[in-house]
Amino acid sequence: MEVINGLFHGFAVALTPINLWWCFVGVFLGTVVGILPGLGPPATIAMLLPLTFQMNPTSAIIMLAGIYYGAKYGGSTTSVLLNVPGESASVVTCFDGYQMARKGRAGAALGIAAIASFVAGTFGVVMLMLVAPPLARMALSFSSPEYFALMCLGLAMVVLLAGKSLTKALLAMLVGLWIAGMGTDLFSATSRFTFGNMELLDGIDFVVVAIGVFALGEVLGNMEKREEAQMLPVPKGLRNLLPTMAELKACRFAFVNGSVIGFLIGVLPGAGSTIASFISYGVEKAVSKHPEKFGTGVPEGVAAPEGANNSETGGALVPMLTLGIPGSGTTAILLAAFILWGLKPGPLMIQDNPTLFWGLVASMYIGNVMLLVLNLPLIPLFAQVLKLPAYALYPVIFGISIVGVYSVSGSLFDVWMLAVFGLMGYAMRRLDYPAAPLILGLVLGDSMERALRQSLMMSQGDLSILVSRPISAVMLFLAAVILIAPLFRKANAWRIKAIEEQV
Amino acid sequence: MRTRISIALLLAGFVAANAGTVFAQGFKPSKPIEFLTHTGPGGGGDVIARAIGTAMEKEKLMPVRMQVLNKTGGSGATAMAYLVEKKGDTQTIAIFTGLWFTNPLMRAEAKITLKDLTPVVRLVLEPALIAVKSDAPYKTLKDFIDAAKQNPGQLKQSAGSIGSRDWLVRQLLMKTTGASWAYISFPGGGERIAALLGGHVNMMVIEPQEAGEHIRAGNLRVIAQISDKRLPPYPNIPTMKEAGFDVNVPQVRGIVAPPGVPAEVVAYWEDVFGKFVKTPSWKKYLEDNLFDDGFMRSAELGKFIDEYSELTRGILKEGGVKVVR
Repeated sequence: MEVINGLFHGFAVALTPINLWWCFVGVFLGTVVGILPGLGPPATIAMLLPLTFQMNPTSAIIMLAGIYYGAKYGGSTTSVLLNVPGESASVVTCFDGYQMARKGRAGAALGIAAIASFVAGTFGVVMLMLVAPPLARMALSFSSPEYFALMCLGLAMVVLLAGKSLTKALLAMLVGLWIAGMGTDLFSATSRFTFGNMELLDGIDFVVVAIGVFALGEVLGNMEKREEAQMLPVPKGLRNLLPTMAELKACRFAFVNGSVIGFLIGVLPGAGSTIASFISYGVEKAVSKHPEKFGTGVPEGVAAPEGANNSETGGALVPMLTLGIPGSGTTAILLAAFILWGLKPGPLMIQDNPTLFWGLVASMYIGNVMLLVLNLPLIPLFAQVLKLPAYALYPVIFGISIVGVYSVSGSLFDVWMLAVFGLMGYAMRRLDYPAAPLILGLVLGDSMERALRQSLMMSQGDLSILVSRPISAVMLFLAAVILIAPLFRKANAWRIKAIEEQV
Repeated sequence: MRTRISIALLLAGFVAANAGTVFAQGFKPSKPIEFLTHTGPGGGGDVIARAIGTAMEKEKLMPVRMQVLNKTGGSGATAMAYLVEKKGDTQTIAIFTGLWFTNPLMRAEAKITLKDLTPVVRLVLEPALIAVKSDAPYKTLKDFIDAAKQNPGQLKQSAGSIGSRDWLVRQLLMKTTGASWAYISFPGGGERIAALLGGHVNMMVIEPQEAGEHIRAGNLRVIAQISDKRLPPYPNIPTMKEAGFDVNVPQVRGIVAPPGVPAEVVAYWEDVFGKFVKTPSWKKYLEDNLFDDGFMRSAELGKFIDEYSELTRGILKEGGVKVVR
């Protein structure tokens, strides 16, 4: 009953004209920020923070949260259309989203991304409202050994992301892990692979690698085929720009999968939305009846990661609102905002500021609807971008990529790194090395190494800490199963072949 | 009273020049000031820089705006190198933190030290608390130290990187007491608190603002304050000195300018910030965040930088960290 009362109160707050307006401003800005590669929600929120000092904290948080979850909607746009991940969490959307666009289903991919975002985003809010406090306490039982096991589980996904050759996928993953290891070691303050270069002390930004390998690599690869004047086919008629019933039906499980996995991983302070979207994609592929089609443009491959990265937002707000613990860059700056407004984030905040909490929750329901209404009509418009001839579109992609990378750090060094990774992406494409495992290794490498070393410091070097804790043991077991499964499949194939030959 | 000696730091070395109000009237910024921070948007330095910029505007202390510029990378090294590139530039200032002392000492790649830059003012001293989980058996810092002595290396502190303030506090405490415990680095503040609340570690050096609500909710207990005097919300918790441990490492923040900036510009900034720290906006900011006013003018800050560099160098060396310069 408390929930229903709270929610009524929340809607009363969120439906006032002024809060509706700020909610709209937030989700609109979020969509724009999401579409622009590079510029992310933390930077946008930091820049807008001084403007919010004059605002009522409830309106302010409604707007800033709108930017946060709105960006997740917009992030898929450039991933699908241009193979440029608009946000780090949208990199997984490139895998199947861009392939759908190449088949002339760009509109459908964007539609599915929007619907998955809406379903999962709403699920995230429902869960935030219903189970936040107990779940936050459970998340605290997660520590370094569990994170290590979770990262292992993620890394095991490499066998699912591999194309024709598992060896090539593993090699690409190792390169990703190596890049992740560059920079300053947190535990000993020593530099690794910086080559005496100051710019490399903090390692290489994930966005630089992702945009280079995906977007630039793709453009360079396509430029070889000179005869094509137009990059991708765009079907005529509105009907062909929206997902079909069959496509939506294929995504049924992906909506659920993305919602649940995204939310659960979002609650953990030490794992982000990129990891959530990778794991959700892996799970979707693992249970699929046609796993071999993943990576060639299946709608489930868009729905699962897009759902996961939106539901993650609701999850990430759980430790922030119930415990005052930020789990990501964006929630950290939202916490800083609370302090500047004179609120005290922490375990008592919901109790002390029910209006703020319930107003925010209700506004997130409204904001998700606004985003759907805002995004669906834009799809046909965005899809027209692909009608541009290649000689116009390629320079645009290059421009967007360079500006995107430069806007993250303001450093020309990163632009050079972008060029390096663009060439690397091109070479990988020519030599038939998959890019996804490289990104996977890069996303997980750093946190995985950290979690392992933290665990061993906790146990004073005793490896059994990884398997003596139940949650961690279960996840490590699952990781092992995923890794070993293809071997059995292969052995089985040989066996059948051998039997056939005997007969 | 206002005629005082400022030290302008040139690349060639220390050059002392008499400067005062006569010169202070000579300089006024003519275009928006570039206000540099080494953290990205939302990081500690960035949040303070933006708060200062907003308060300056509100109090109308400057004819131009302050534009925050994020030069991330190299744990502050990129921002410091940028300042050296801007040698002699009168429209640029930067906010520094403790990292600007330790980073160049530990990393050969970070070639610029604070001594290469022009000290302007010191603004903030951030106190800290030593916290344990509320169901932990340690009621005082002495209890914790005794337990650590009985089980060397068994207790754990959740903390940041090597060379950060938490690390310096631990090194000094271990050195003065002979106890030892593990130092587990987490990159984010949230993960550090989560590890403490989840019972995966035993102790943490925590910012008062971060700890406040957890203490009020009964999740954490404070056993000592790393501060010169007791903070208003914790009148009953002893400072380190009162608890018998003479260890006080403040987290310091202040303003520096590029090398080779004329003395009149330094004097202008001293004047502006001298007025600024007396404004209600700034006082409220310090109070909300439980920071101490650490205001110091350029000459004093120059001396402080020398002393503090030596202090951290000593701690780093004793802690077994390779000091590169």
